[in-house]
Amino acid sequence: MTEARATILVIEDAPEIRRFLRSSLGAEGYKVVESSTARRGLIDAATHKPDLAVVDLGLPDFDGLDVIRRIREWSPMPILVLSARAQERAKIDALDAGADDYVTKPFGIGELLARVRAALRHAVRIGSGKNNLTLEDAIIDIEARKATRGGKEVHLTPIEFRIIACLAKHLGMVVTHRQLLSEVWGPTHLADTHYLRIYMKQLRDKLEIDPVRPRHFVTETGVGYRLVADDEST
Amino acid sequence: MARPWIGYACAAGAALLCTLIGLAMAPRFDIVNIAMVYLLAVVVIALRFSRGAAILSSVLCVAAFDFMFVPPQSTFTVEDVQYLLTFAIMLAVALVISGLMASGRRQAEARAALMLEAETERIRSTLLASISHDLRTPLAVMTGASSSLAEGGERLSPAERTALAQSIYGQARDMSEQVAKVLQMTRLETGGIALDRDWAAIPEIAGSVLARLSERLAHHRLMVDFPADLPLVRVDTTLIDQALANLVENAARHTPAGTVVRVRGQCRGSELVVSVEDFGIGIDDHDIEHVFEKFHHGASAGAGRGVGLGLAICRAIVQLHQGKAWAERLPGGGTAFRFTLPVDEAPLPPSEAESA
Repeated sequence: MTEARATILVIEDAPEIRRFLRSSLGAEGYKVVESSTARRGLIDAATHKPDLAVVDLGLPDFDGLDVIRRIREWSPMPILVLSARAQERAKIDALDAGADDYVTKPFGIGELLARVRAALRHAVRIGSGKNNLTLEDAIIDIEARKATRGGKEVHLTPIEFRIIACLAKHLGMVVTHRQLLSEVWGPTHLADTHYLRIYMKQLRDKLEIDPVRPRHFVTETGVGYRLVADDEST
Repeated sequence: MARPWIGYACAAGAALLCTLIGLAMAPRFDIVNIAMVYLLAVVVIALRFSRGAAILSSVLCVAAFDFMFVPPQSTFTVEDVQYLLTFAIMLAVALVISGLMASGRRQAEARAALMLEAETERIRSTLLASISHDLRTPLAVMTGASSSLAEGGERLSPAERTALAQSIYGQARDMSEQVAKVLQMTRLETGGIALDRDWAAIPEIAGSVLARLSERLAHHRLMVDFPADLPLVRVDTTLIDQALANLVENAARHTPAGTVVRVRGQCRGSELVVSVEDFGIGIDDHDIEHVFEKFHHGASAGAGRGVGLGLAICRAIVQLHQGKAWAERLPGGGTAFRFTLPVDEAPLPPSEAESA
């Protein structure tokens, strides 16, 4: 299956938003299936077996969160949520319920397409066994726990490797604070956000060219972090 | 007056006090002068307290004066009719003064209510004026440009079509930001925001603000200055991100291209000071005082003005965090916009037990 012919299911109640999603996603070569309600969306998800679902969080019949949970019961397909501004909580809940990424309304199509591409790429990459990350002058081999920068070895602690591994599993997509804390430190540390603040600074100091304006360890304020690599196309 | 009994208690106390003073005066002073002391007490009570307290005061003073000093003493009998006039005058003074005070108070209250109403009205009309200016212009652009595309798009060159679409995109984005600001200000003012506090690193927030506003800052020279040991703060990250973004946006909007915008953080005692410094033409004393107020547009604000809520939102957010926000002039003509955040005790750092 190649990316360009992927089927995308759009579950969104506003017809005008469906219209521009249909034409822009269509123009990129994706096949678009549209559902205007959660109920219809769940049926379409089962019958069309899309490669990715775009789910609006404010659906009229039932909560977008339920749609995510129900899809997750049987499918690992990437799910992007559309949320309104100032809905940080709803975004985080959706991500913790199994969504892979989000786009905040109003959004430009460029932003949405970038997320769609990252999510589809991620779906393809699972199981491909690729472990090398390139972040400009830094190369990280997650499996071998080795990092170099400009050819010279960079010392990363085991926790730093665990953080990179967790972010790399969702390369290009957002990982919530909760997901990171639980995966790296365990479920008793879900409230210790300061661990992340301290370690992200260390990682940026070691691996970013300009640690104050990071290009790879990207902050999603109030939500989590996103790892952006150079070789996004692999 | 919240507690009327205080007035009555004072009236009684004053009568007692005057009696004591009167007893001290009696050997040397004429009885008329003692009456003056009582009159003074009545005036004071009438000025400070309610009409009821004033009347009580005059009655008590008359009674005490009559009983203690007017012959025959130790009785309420009055021999000389002229003292009845004294009594009547005391009562009249109490009534006149308390009446004047009450009407004064009523007028002050009415004036305050009127001023409040005028202020609300002023805010409402400024809001409407700015909405009509700041939202109708982009709406006109969007209507015009999109109708050109919809009705005659095929006659336009591809470059013109792109330009029109881009101007619709830009205006719409701008407008949606303004609307978000109006909503946010309303939410902040009506207390509809509960802080969701968490440990945050200000340099990290600054990094994400600068990345988001990179287009806006494309024509400025950016300097970022945070000491490596800046402490973490317990704040609502989303809100502080917004507060800082509004300051940076303000600097980008009001200073000429090519000038420096500097974002910095410093720790001062138990406070963290976050600053956005610009090297524009600077602002005058009046604007320095008022620049953080709602709908304030500085003397130099030109066409690039926004709704005038960005800095007010910043201040409201900072105040929710028990911090303060202000502007100050920089030597050499720039302006610094700063806010403080309280620094709590540092959280326990993570320990890395395994050896690397």
